[in-house]
Amino acid sequence: MFPSPVPLTRRHLLSAAAGLFALAAGLAPAAAADQLADIKAAGTLRVATFDSNPPFGSIDPSTYNLVGYDVDFAKAIAQALGVKLQLVSTNPANRIPLLQSGKVELIVADLTITPERAQVLDFSIPYFETGLELLVPASSSDALSSFATARIGAVKGTTGEQALKARFPGSRVLSYDDIPTALAALRNGSVDAIAQDSTILAGLLAEAPDRAKFKILPDRLSREIIGIGLAKGQPALLAKVNEILVGLEKDGQAKAIYDKWFGPGTKFASPRSFTIGVTN
Amino acid sequence: MPDFSVITQNLPYLLWGRALEGQPGGLLLTLIMSLEAGVLALVVGVLLALAAWLSGGWTRRILFAWADFIRGIPLIFVIFWLYFLLPSLFGVNLPDTITVVLAIAWFTSAAVMYSTLAGLEALPKGQVEAGLSAGFSRTKVLVNILLPQALPNVLPSLVGVFISLIKDTSLAFIVNVPELTTVAGQVNNRTQIYPTEIFLFTGAVYFLLCGALSLTVHLAGGRRARPA
Repeated sequence: MFPSPVPLTRRHLLSAAAGLFALAAGLAPAAAADQLADIKAAGTLRVATFDSNPPFGSIDPSTYNLVGYDVDFAKAIAQALGVKLQLVSTNPANRIPLLQSGKVELIVADLTITPERAQVLDFSIPYFETGLELLVPASSSDALSSFATARIGAVKGTTGEQALKARFPGSRVLSYDDIPTALAALRNGSVDAIAQDSTILAGLLAEAPDRAKFKILPDRLSREIIGIGLAKGQPALLAKVNEILVGLEKDGQAKAIYDKWFGPGTKFASPRSFTIGVTN
Repeated sequence: MPDFSVITQNLPYLLWGRALEGQPGGLLLTLIMSLEAGVLALVVGVLLALAAWLSGGWTRRILFAWADFIRGIPLIFVIFWLYFLLPSLFGVNLPDTITVVLAIAWFTSAAVMYSTLAGLEALPKGQVEAGLSAGFSRTKVLVNILLPQALPNVLPSLVGVFISLIKDTSLAFIVNVPELTTVAGQVNNRTQIYPTEIFLFTGAVYFLLCGALSLTVHLAGGRRARPA
């Protein structure tokens, strides 16, 4: 875009415009009739995953690669499909728009299966399970019900927001960009509690130097069943992803990935309460 | 008590991201994006100003409507639109970094257009008349006589626009393009407990970057304005 020493003529402009249109046409995806076939033809699977949400997806401190439970599942799926993996980093609020705008084929980003989301996308069978819990100051009551009218922090675009509005309509939900910001709000008293997946809260508390000042309430706010998101009307891709997930459970890879991130001795340690492909 | 070891431990990532793997990030990507968007906005903005100066009537009105349209929308929306709407409406899927650079350049070109046009119109009218009577065309008067005087005059204003542009690149965090603010967020979310240290550092880096630029131009400009 530097100014050209040659004066621009109409012919230059016309050829530039023609080039732009050719570029646009070349990049436009053919109406995705069968995404599975398209993925295989392109040789690349594009997956939306978190870059700021350990242990699901975050930047490794020494290699600077994206790592996490979701990243390992994305890798295993791409490998089973025999294609290259392209991870697209995202945050909770952007993951569904990324799928809708055709920038990715799968969302593997701690996405809870909900009826609202199922209206705009399809879900695979569950590959993770957790529960929403409240993190509160140590001096607070242990009863979940005593927070029915409290000010509660949640992360934007997560089910915490909806679950609180449904379960405690009298509460005031304040949405933050990420979990450290929500914790800062709890520290300075802007909120009385934060709602988040139990696994994430356990990891947060394990690292906090002032962890003695907080506690996680024993009762769960909701059960969160996590699935892989994909575009509606893609039966071949959906069936293939489900088949791969069941295969990963059968050959032990799924459990190995779980143990790597949530097994005993890890920061997010928590027993595995599910088996992929088995409804409970 | 702040513990800045979180900065020293993550310094390479904050400064250049995954540049060694061919994916620049952090401060380096902030600089690259600022330069790309800056050059693009300068060229497009000056061309728009020249077109607005040369044309009258409807062409001029359309140019102003274009600039006012983009100026009247928060930049974060422009980034969102180009990132999500362009692919879903037209199937055009640009790389994430290019999308944000284009959004910032488009947005900033409006400010460049206004500044440059103000500089052109502030010059004495007699210069145009003198040029025309000497046989120059209006385009030649504009490019050879007016623009070389106007650009140095509006330089301080353009530097201000560019400083805003540098800070605007931080909005790329909303679509996870790994410039300085995004990588600072990534480190903050992994370490979870050092937001004060991380965002004090990030703020200081932006301040040093913009402050140094401002100071350089101020010193250079001061020398130019001083009588010989």
